[in-house]
Amino acid sequence: MDNKNPLQEIIDKIMNWSRINSPWAIHFNSGSCNGCDIEILATLTPRYDVERFGIKLQGSPRHADVLIATGPVTLQARDRLIRVYEQMPSPKFVIAVGSCALSGGVFDGCYNVVGDLSKVIPVNVYIPGCPPRPEAIIFGVVQLLESLKLGKVPEMVEVAPLELVSEELGGLQ
Amino acid sequence: MSTVQGTLAKGIQLLEKFIVSTASPETNRIDIWVKPEDLKPAVLALIENHWGYLITITGLDHTPVMDDEGVTTTKGTIEGLYHFAEESVIITIRIKVDYSSPKIDSICDIIPSATLYEREFIELFGVEILDTPDTSHLVLPDGWPEKVYPLRKTFSGLNEEFIAGKVS
Repeated sequence: MDNKNPLQEIIDKIMNWSRINSPWAIHFNSGSCNGCDIEILATLTPRYDVERFGIKLQGSPRHADVLIATGPVTLQARDRLIRVYEQMPSPKFVIAVGSCALSGGVFDGCYNVVGDLSKVIPVNVYIPGCPPRPEAIIFGVVQLLESLKLGKVPEMVEVAPLELVSEELGGLQ
Repeated sequence: MSTVQGTLAKGIQLLEKFIVSTASPETNRIDIWVKPEDLKPAVLALIENHWGYLITITGLDHTPVMDDEGVTTTKGTIEGLYHFAEESVIITIRIKVDYSSPKIDSICDIIPSATLYEREFIELFGVEILDTPDTSHLVLPDGWPEKVYPLRKTFSGLNEEFIAGKVS
């Protein structure tokens, strides 16, 4: 902000606060095998209780702040993905979930595949895994929210290796 | 109760007069090559006698084989495989057509639901299926270039600009 109007500053703060506390998400599958989509559905169940972060799944891109995208981008899905992205009001954030959204995964190089998500739309957070566990998806969203709190773009985070995590949880169930 | 061998023998007997050659990849399977013009009578023979149902149609691309001087020794062919199943027995009717005129008769007047498989076969292998009721696009994305068939061995990917969406 160039002009430091104190009123505007307060309004910005309130907007940022409300944005961080209610990230409404839209889920888009641009060619995934559905593995990641099932994990996202599992994430939204009461067991993981993502509403404590204010995360809510929205049907319409016009009401959403966060695009949770899974899968590589196929030629057929490319234009639809761009349209959904452009329908979202700014500021908007994109979370790429799963190996395929990160790199194209096993689909990279297929005749009908463009490639990974970042070839088509800008991506803020990458969540690796095939598929990532619901904990990882929540962690990724929280990383995005943390970075918004500090007013900067998300940085790469070192995540503890799986053995350490599973020890903490008392072994994988 | 019919045995696997009995069901298989009955199917082979129905197709006996069309057989060019056979192969047996598994104990419950047999591949039967027929002449392209015998495809419809062969399918009709199975359906009329209520032997099984069509599982799917698949395709194969056999590229031309060349010797050291670049002379073609074996012509390139497209193969169509029509898989029929009765219980655990599978009979595959196989036909080979030349690259130069890949024309296959439609079996939609015998099995109407085969239209989906035939459309897929046309799109992915570039064969011509005569008298098939519908030839519109099925599996490939909108705006896919004409006369590009992704499951042909000669296909090596679309150009980068098309994939990046710069040309449509």
